Amino acid sequence: MSRRCSLLIALPVLLATACGGDGVATETFPLCADDPGPAPLRRMTRFEYGRTLSDLTGVRASVADQLPPDEETLGFDDIADAYSVSTLHAARYLDVAEQAADALVADGVRLKAVAGCDPSSGDAGCLGDFIAGFGRRAWRRPLEPDELAAMQQIYADTADPGAKDGVAGVVAALLQSPQFIYRPEPSVPAMTTAGALEPYALATRLSLLLTGAGPDDALLAAAGSGGLHTEEGLLAQTDRLLTGPRAAELFVHVATQWWELGGVPTLDKDRALYRTWTDATPGALAEETRLFLADAWQGTPNLKTLLTAPVTFVDADLAAFYGLPAPAGSGFQRVDLDPARAAGLLTQGSFLAEHAKADQTSPVLRGKFVRAKLFCTPPAPPPPDIVVRPPTVDPRLSTRQRFAQHTADDRCAGCHALMDPIGFAFEHYDAAGRWRDVDGGQVVDATGDLVGTDVDGALDGVPSLAARLADSAAVANCTATQWFRYAFGRAEQSQGDLCTVGKLAAAFKGTNGDGDFKKMVRATVRMAAFRNRASGVSP
Amino acid sequence: MTRRISRRTILRGAGGAAIALPWLEAMAPRRAQAASAPVKRFIVMFSANGTIPSAWTPVAGSSESDFTLSPILAPLEPHKSDIVVIGGLEQKGGGGDGHQNGMGGMLTGQPLNSGPFAGVGAPPAGWPMGASVDQRIAEGLAVPTRLRSLELGVQVGSADNWGRMIYRAANQPLPPDDDPASVYGRVFADLHTDPAVVARLRRRRKSILDGVGAQFTRVSARLGSADRQRLDAHLTAVQEIETRLTTDLVVNNPSCHDPTLSPVSTTANDAFPMVGALQMDLLTMALACDITRVASLQWSRSVSQTRFTWLNITQGHHDLSHRPDSEPDAVSNLTKINTWYAQQFAGLISRLKATPDGAGGTLFDNTLLLWCNELAKGNIHGRIGAPYVLAGSAGGALRTGRYLNYGPLPHNNLLVSILNAMGVPDTTFGKADWCSGALSGVL
Repeated sequence: MSRRCSLLIALPVLLATACGGDGVATETFPLCADDPGPAPLRRMTRFEYGRTLSDLTGVRASVADQLPPDEETLGFDDIADAYSVSTLHAARYLDVAEQAADALVADGVRLKAVAGCDPSSGDAGCLGDFIAGFGRRAWRRPLEPDELAAMQQIYADTADPGAKDGVAGVVAALLQSPQFIYRPEPSVPAMTTAGALEPYALATRLSLLLTGAGPDDALLAAAGSGGLHTEEGLLAQTDRLLTGPRAAELFVHVATQWWELGGVPTLDKDRALYRTWTDATPGALAEETRLFLADAWQGTPNLKTLLTAPVTFVDADLAAFYGLPAPAGSGFQRVDLDPARAAGLLTQGSFLAEHAKADQTSPVLRGKFVRAKLFCTPPAPPPPDIVVRPPTVDPRLSTRQRFAQHTADDRCAGCHALMDPIGFAFEHYDAAGRWRDVDGGQVVDATGDLVGTDVDGALDGVPSLAARLADSAAVANCTATQWFRYAFGRAEQSQGDLCTVGKLAAAFKGTNGDGDFKKMVRATVRMAAFRNRASGVSP
Repeated sequence: MTRRISRRTILRGAGGAAIALPWLEAMAPRRAQAASAPVKRFIVMFSANGTIPSAWTPVAGSSESDFTLSPILAPLEPHKSDIVVIGGLEQKGGGGDGHQNGMGGMLTGQPLNSGPFAGVGAPPAGWPMGASVDQRIAEGLAVPTRLRSLELGVQVGSADNWGRMIYRAANQPLPPDDDPASVYGRVFADLHTDPAVVARLRRRRKSILDGVGAQFTRVSARLGSADRQRLDAHLTAVQEIETRLTTDLVVNNPSCHDPTLSPVSTTANDAFPMVGALQMDLLTMALACDITRVASLQWSRSVSQTRFTWLNITQGHHDLSHRPDSEPDAVSNLTKINTWYAQQFAGLISRLKATPDGAGGTLFDNTLLLWCNELAKGNIHGRIGAPYVLAGSAGGALRTGRYLNYGPLPHNNLLVSILNAMGVPDTTFGKADWCSGALSGVL
């Protein structure tokens, strides 16, 4: 912990010295080429596995929910060092692969589309084409001759009672193989120093990074024809993939994890205190945030939008929950909110309810989120001998009064002065995420204070906080750090990593400082950490 | 023929089992049980966030068998002569924060490796440095049951070292399955599938998994050593699945039947008791059918925030567990929560007692159960006096009906005693400095 903290705290300094300016667009490709950093073997996350399987076989992406959950650390589901494997994993991969194989062979149109013929007709030529074609999509590279032969053998063993069964057997085997489940990146022969990744492995990185699913035919074709060797070729594929709906879904997936909202669909509140909270509320709050993020990606995908935009999405039920007028039209609609009250994700019910207790708000959780996930400076944990507990709910006292203990006790005051005064700015929003004017019988006081940052100052309500956060270089740098962790599936560790984060941050901030996510994503593929692989992969 | 008819009658009369079992019939003749060593079974049940020691500790009398159950343990009164309450032990653990290393060390007797999971006030930690005691038992029993062990859970949450207690080996957590429908499909499929279909499926899967295994070996050879270890662990898991396919399900217990399953939300807070009840039903039946002999049930996870609304407790369990002893309502609610878990443990015992064993007696007779917690006391993350309850005698190996207070000996010693009760003659378990041998007088 201490090591990671010191790196994070040191980051702004290093950005200024080791990496410098923001002229990313004109620098040599790839960027930060001296040290691409480690690249531990990654496994497709459930999110990626489900989407990829859906593309390949037509099953619903939610089949992946049958797999054991991904280990989560650093706030993300794709950190390679955290993975574990068990017989339950193997059993589930088997089950899901069989379901997908059965779905594919039952879908004659899709099956024939793979090789332009029916592999279950018994025609040996067509079967060979199917194995090669489906195998290439599933394994994200062409199969080698003995791999093709192994699949032919599985066909022969499993074509019982009929050819369809054999085809399903081949598909089930391809989908349980490590080339599908994992992302093995074989070394380039005789590679002794860091060098360019083999093109199919690069295509896999690119597609999973930008769309959260395996490469499509066009990308594989580009990999096979040398189209990814040049910066222009790589960026052309990048831009193509970034325009599709899958990139928006990926953005939602990453931002949801960054904002710690993965648990929202199963959130619950004390319903005696929050009577409008129903079984449908958590799902609606998650949907609101999903629509907001997708809209931001399609419209103005920058940090300022996420932090400050006074808009959201509600349907009639959710509008009633918030006490807003019902939107025109059915279903969820984009609505404008009062800019004096609303500020992007920071005032959405999902964020507010997640960062609260079941029976009361938590200035600590809300303030801690801002410190840890927006500034990347998580406060030190409480001393081990302190009994940590939220104060008892007292209907005669406001939350602010009940948390006064933190500043009364010297051992708590130091760190809580960094969190609580940020959290107090959220006090107009109750533990369910609804606006309130009164708390504990008293008029809400939403004043607070931001200290120890590059945008210090007095706060009054969330919009005042949001405006400062949107202006903060530290928040932009931290956002780049969060993206690095997701994109590379690991914590930043080396000088090379810090260089990469610095370049990402520079691209993100750009010239106007708004924090453009698309520019940062586009810059990612230009990094040596993305394009190259370190040496030392030999056994 | 007469026997078959009568068995069907028994099954229908068993209540809750009003399911016709066409395929089970055909499997019965395949029994090949060598009547040698008695069957032994082991079950672990976990509940979280420590207990209220003053309300948990029994009142000792004139001898170890003369004791009065505490308020929390009162639900075990009907089974008092079948349990051993173990007091005083120190639950060892190291690396990570108190909940993390309590959870990881509870059954392994090992500290956590350093790793990616950042706890509170401690360096980030990974998984424990060794296997858990149940897995050592599975290895020691060396019985080719269909499943080497069965890990069940109830709303266990995310995949990290706060939520894993069973370890196949160092760094190899076995995730509990917390969806009863999924458990049913995986564990009992053979009981409701045509044997001809089962046989064909097995042949088919064997061939596919052979090919998959070969591919793992092939890819692994091209990777660096750290990556290779990951793929090799996956290959081992694939091979275990293959072994399952070649292990016949030998049903020699008329109590074995295809369980019924009611639909239930696996994640809704208020479904917690219902999911747990279903899992205990499934667990009992997995033992009755001899699908496995080693099982675990993990209620929630360390740092559990379950809200016990069915006890009129609305605050999250972990928040509540950090309230000071000076707050009577918090102490009362935590006592209620732990008493509820005692009821569940009693319910599990009752299920086993109510289920005849094929060889005579009940499932309970040859079973050993352990109820444990990652902490002794929640609000101070206390580790001395961790609350262990054993139940069942493991076929007479354990003398039950006793309260034993050992003082702060390392809990590894209890794990050794458990191994010995299960017929595994080890003299130490877990980290060597944390173990001074079996507890005297447990067996």
